[in-house]
Amino acid sequence: MRESFTAVLERNRTLAGGFATEPYEVAWAAEARWFVRTLERTGTGTLMRVTTQVSPDGLHWCDLDPEREVAGDLVTWESSGFGGWLRLKGAVEGEDGGEASAKVMIYLALKS
Amino acid sequence: MTDPASDPSLVAQLRRADPALSRFNPLDRILVHDEFNTGTHGWIELLGNYDGHGNLDTVDDHMRDFRPPQLSSCNFFDVGTHGAMSGTYALKVATRPVAGHTGVAIRRLTMAGRGRVQFEAYLTFKTEAASEENQAASKAGAGEWDANLHPSEQQFGAFTIATDICDGVRYHCVARYLNTDLENRLRREWVYPTVPEPTPREHFEGKVKLPPTADFTAPEPDDWKPFGGPQELCYNEVPTKVNWHYVRWVIDTSTRSNIELQVNDTVYDMRDVPVPPYEEEYGSLGNLLNFYVSVRTHTDVRNFLYLDSVLISVDW
Repeated sequence: MRESFTAVLERNRTLAGGFATEPYEVAWAAEARWFVRTLERTGTGTLMRVTTQVSPDGLHWCDLDPEREVAGDLVTWESSGFGGWLRLKGAVEGEDGGEASAKVMIYLALKS
Repeated sequence: MTDPASDPSLVAQLRRADPALSRFNPLDRILVHDEFNTGTHGWIELLGNYDGHGNLDTVDDHMRDFRPPQLSSCNFFDVGTHGAMSGTYALKVATRPVAGHTGVAIRRLTMAGRGRVQFEAYLTFKTEAASEENQAASKAGAGEWDANLHPSEQQFGAFTIATDICDGVRYHCVARYLNTDLENRLRREWVYPTVPEPTPREHFEGKVKLPPTADFTAPEPDDWKPFGGPQELCYNEVPTKVNWHYVRWVIDTSTRSNIELQVNDTVYDMRDVPVPPYEEEYGSLGNLLNFYVSVRTHTDVRNFLYLDSVLISVDW
């Protein structure tokens, strides 16, 4: 039987401006899939952009993939070749950089 | 009670012949044997209660962010993968880098009898190593380095092992290692709460409303009292060395009381350490037997509690 674990990295949390999820250890996992569920948006033309990041030590981070938009209410993508740590770095902004926020659930579904 | 270490029975001998079990001293019946090298074994983040619509806005502020546990290879910036005691992976409970933040992992069981219940674990505690991003070296608690005591040791707040039990009367047996006080001064002693834990129902009834970083087990620092005297554990000088500590804690659910706590070579008689029950009755909790571990930071630096393995045994 393969091991699996779904971590809720952000729960019902309102994000505004720049953010990074807490460092999460994934060395045991062969598969990783992100789900970002947006419960609520405030502001005009609210846009959430995220970049999947990796790290050798949970302290120093670099990008794994290009930045992506989280436009729908439930968005998912897969990460591979991620080594020992994963996090999301991102920003929630309105049109022309105006104030905006998004209330989200961020899940990381892992499988050995 | 027979001392398991000197028990000549076949069961005892078979247990001692098994390397995974021989590091423990179980009571008669083993309920739980969790080696985190093989998964999380039902240890999961604690979350406060919510309404019938699944609206998480109704979760108490201080019980909504106890963080998901991690299967950790104890991976550090300087040596890479340290690994655990029973394999590569341990269960890690981590705080955010926010003073007062608490991480909590819970294991949910029920009771098929009453009597002695023993929680054993191999565990250790660490702060996050300093980096440019986390600025730990300049956060509260950081001091001078003397090539022996590391400043990060003063940035570890507390870890707690505890229960949530209900046999009609609800109560918590709790033991906390208070490494530092809220001013980041070393205390290195075991403490217990003199009051029952505030519950979501008490908030719902308007009796209590706690802020996000409140100490959910007992919010007032004065409600924690020391027992047994100070004990220095093996932090081992830097935040990236992992030394596993043996912990054995016995309670008695027939008397709703603490019995004893062993931490490495020290055994604390806990029979006089009180267990405050709730005065009110709680429904939906018949035979509740939960264990939780928590880690709480007293500065803006992540604190970690690592569990290599857990064994819970009973005499019923």
